[in-house]
Amino acid sequence: MNIVIFTLSAGLALAAGAACAQETPQALAERGRYIATASDCVACHTGPGGKPFAGNHVIASPVGGIVATNITPSVTHGIGSYTEEQFSDAVRRGIRADGANLYPAMPYTAFSKITDEDMQALYAYFMTAVEPVDEAGAETALPFPFGIRASMIGWNLLFRDTATFEPDPSKSEEWNRGAYLAEGPGHCSACHTPRGLLMQEDGSRFLAGAQVGPWHAPNITSDPEAGIGSWSKDEIIAYLGTGRAEGKAQAGGSMAEAVEHSFSKLTPEDLGAIATYLADVPAVSGPARFGQGRPGNMAASFRGLDGMPGGLARGAQIYSANCASCHGFDGQGTADQYYPSLYGNSATGGPEAANFIAAVLNGVDRETAEGHVFMPPFGTQPNAFNSLSDDEIAALAAYVSASYGDGSFAVTPDDVAEIRAGGPASGLLLWVRWLMGAAGLAVLILAGVAGLAKRRRMAA
Amino acid sequence: MTSSSQVVIVGTGVVGAVIAEECLDAGLEVLMIEAGPRVTRAEIVENYRNLPLGAKPDATASYPPADWAPHPFFGQDYLGSTGPDTYNPTYLRYAGGSTWHWAGTCWRLTPEDMQLRTLYGVGRDWAFDYATLDPYYNKTERALGICGPADPADQWPPRTRSMDYPMPHLPLSQGEQKFTRVMQDKLGLRNLPVAQARNSGTPYDDRPACCANNNCVPVCPVGAKYDAATALKRLEAKGATILDNSVVYRAETGEGNRIAAVHYYDRNRGSHRIAGEHFVLACNGIETPKLLLMSADDRNPAGLANSSDQVGRNIMDHPQQGYTFTVSEPYWLGAGPVVNSGIMETSQGAFRSEHAGAYFRLNNFARNRFIAQRALKSGKVGRALDEEIRRLTATSVNIVSAHEMLPDPENRLTLSSAKDWLGLPKPSVHWDVGEYTRRSSRDYSEPMVARIAEAMGATDFTPAGGKFSTSKHIMGGTIMGNDPADSVVSGVCRAHDHDNLYLPGGGAMPSTACGNSTITMTSLAFMAAEALISEAKGA
Repeated sequence: MNIVIFTLSAGLALAAGAACAQETPQALAERGRYIATASDCVACHTGPGGKPFAGNHVIASPVGGIVATNITPSVTHGIGSYTEEQFSDAVRRGIRADGANLYPAMPYTAFSKITDEDMQALYAYFMTAVEPVDEAGAETALPFPFGIRASMIGWNLLFRDTATFEPDPSKSEEWNRGAYLAEGPGHCSACHTPRGLLMQEDGSRFLAGAQVGPWHAPNITSDPEAGIGSWSKDEIIAYLGTGRAEGKAQAGGSMAEAVEHSFSKLTPEDLGAIATYLADVPAVSGPARFGQGRPGNMAASFRGLDGMPGGLARGAQIYSANCASCHGFDGQGTADQYYPSLYGNSATGGPEAANFIAAVLNGVDRETAEGHVFMPPFGTQPNAFNSLSDDEIAALAAYVSASYGDGSFAVTPDDVAEIRAGGPASGLLLWVRWLMGAAGLAVLILAGVAGLAKRRRMAA
Repeated sequence: MTSSSQVVIVGTGVVGAVIAEECLDAGLEVLMIEAGPRVTRAEIVENYRNLPLGAKPDATASYPPADWAPHPFFGQDYLGSTGPDTYNPTYLRYAGGSTWHWAGTCWRLTPEDMQLRTLYGVGRDWAFDYATLDPYYNKTERALGICGPADPADQWPPRTRSMDYPMPHLPLSQGEQKFTRVMQDKLGLRNLPVAQARNSGTPYDDRPACCANNNCVPVCPVGAKYDAATALKRLEAKGATILDNSVVYRAETGEGNRIAAVHYYDRNRGSHRIAGEHFVLACNGIETPKLLLMSADDRNPAGLANSSDQVGRNIMDHPQQGYTFTVSEPYWLGAGPVVNSGIMETSQGAFRSEHAGAYFRLNNFARNRFIAQRALKSGKVGRALDEEIRRLTATSVNIVSAHEMLPDPENRLTLSSAKDWLGLPKPSVHWDVGEYTRRSSRDYSEPMVARIAEAMGATDFTPAGGKFSTSKHIMGGTIMGNDPADSVVSGVCRAHDHDNLYLPGGGAMPSTACGNSTITMTSLAFMAAEALISEAKGA
């Protein structure tokens, strides 16, 4: 509980000086551990099967892979020689100790809100409580012109806000705590806010939903139809803590990682604070995605008949063969909803099909105190249950939307191919090179492109 | 077209798959050759769902054989049976092999099971003891994802394991819990949770958790049960080449009587030759001896690996007797896997000098697929029919006694004069379950089932009438031993006659005990892989 109290006071900048003055080095580092968890550092800075924070995790961006680096206190390969100020500049300003710019795959635009007190704790944690790993990782090598890190200088001038979080005195203490966590360490907007022309976050559509690689980070504003305004506070807490809100949504992709590594390890009070804050985020409207569909099946249209049926029955047969054994012959899921129903489900409810397609192609893998949720992939992975073709997934999508959603999916095989390839491709590379020749705006635009980088959280 | 490989493995079932993976992980080049087709789980699931009701209890009905790769199948005449009893095992010539339709049951042998000759004066001893096999059992349990009880008192064999199971056992269904209580209270028998290759409550091996479709036989529709088909894409990702629809019909010997190559027919009857350095025949206890006999040449006129004349002999099974009866109180079986608990202590005892031991299990198949026709035949309609189906689903039960069997050279596979689609000889087996097993049924197991039935409140128990059915656990046809004069393979399943030929799997087993054979077959595969790799590395 001490951690909570300390963190709360620090976050709200209340009596922070007094709290810190009495803090032992161990307590300071422990408080830093919690900030690191809330910031989900481990998800990006740990490679597949690698040691914690040793880097080597490649973050896909439309202009190439960006490698998250070793942030253990290794003097030779990590950040062991960073001063507290250099550490703070890297986390909150996007500037490395050697003066080079980070790509905003590192969400320093959000981390800039982290308070000085929390930054001090975070530094103590990384320097004293993280095991140093003296191993070199891969280097980021983006194609020209994005390889020029100095290109970020102009973008930062335009879009980086260096102010730390300021509580809003007209709001409750809980609201302010939630705002701090969501806007700062939690960096929700990095994925959930759509980007503008230069890849900066579009503040007028804050948390209104955006495509992140193969997944769609949905609208989490307070709009009751398109956002999560219809969710109770307990449902939001359950979703963040376990990755699912029964009858509404499940976390997949990088939101599953965020739940597993970060949200599920925060205190219930902090999850409640985030829920209180989200319920107050200005509504941005859009198509409804909850409460759609109904149980049912089309078995009579293909069972026992020769050959491949056409129309929706084809998708129904693909569903029967590949999906029904877990999600139920009527799409009802299991009684405990460990395997969720497909009706009344945001992944199938509205017109946005990316998360349905991404879940089919990539599966779902999420481990929390509630258990290990695992849906096998249906792509070309070695453990794919079945390698469904683009055409088959499009047919499946049509059936699922018609039966268990509002029928508004319009998925073509090309749409599936695009998600399979990692999400909508960026035309920015050509665009930027053209502009470089055509105008003298290269620096600005390069900067903007790099801003694409890290947008990792999303919700299915 | 590939024409050679360092390691050539014929067969893509569990034995071939684990050897392939061990070899790949050791950096060896691996080629696997499969006679049958490669299918998706989705196809098999839909085949099953499209079957007429009456065919659903048939474990192979969802797997129609390819013309060029026949296997035992309803209405087709492939595997012959002669002799006093009928031998009709099922197995699949599909990529992934017969684990497609196994229940996943994984009883280890006991130390005594491996020393029948020494302890009871019957059968054969193994070439090594239980302590030698135990580490390979551990490997198998990890590779296949075998869940089992954590309480040593509930483990089989009791208190002999050097490592825990990787996952806890699955919960027993309502009917199984009741059965366990009744057996303990009325007969003092322990009904143990089955160790089984099935993900219990957690994903494992990048496969999902069991969600209780109760459909393990004929196919796990979600891949929660291990089957070798789940491993094939991973093997390919590690560098294996897998040829399907390729029927190996001859192994060719060369200098020093080493195997030089295998020959296969493609599905257009074109013949191809694959050379190699190390060969594994992992085609099961029928197809492996058949292939050895078919490969007779000037150096080996009685067939390969057959200087002892034991190839195809000593074929064994777990002859079983099934008892379906109705009980007065509802049991409600069917939640969870189809085989989920069993009584194993009855397989052991000094009586084994006189007769076989037996393992008793209450099958946990949901009963509706078996009793629906019976209910229809009652003439009832409408709500009365629904109620009859419900009543029989709750109160009909099926108890199986599975017996051990001794190796008998007269239980022998031969090449019949009948030919298959490719013109290859069809196999035929002379079958006699033997007095040792018959005596067990008459004096021991059937009286025991009668007591079990009475304890359960049976209203219509009827004896099996001395008839045995086949358990489909194919053992003995390439039997293991230290003496090349009376056995086919050594303790590491290497052919006595050919230094670079391994014949691992059930065929090597010199005793059957009563528990299902796959876990032991797979452990033998790990032993063989170790020997093969050490040879390849030393060469």
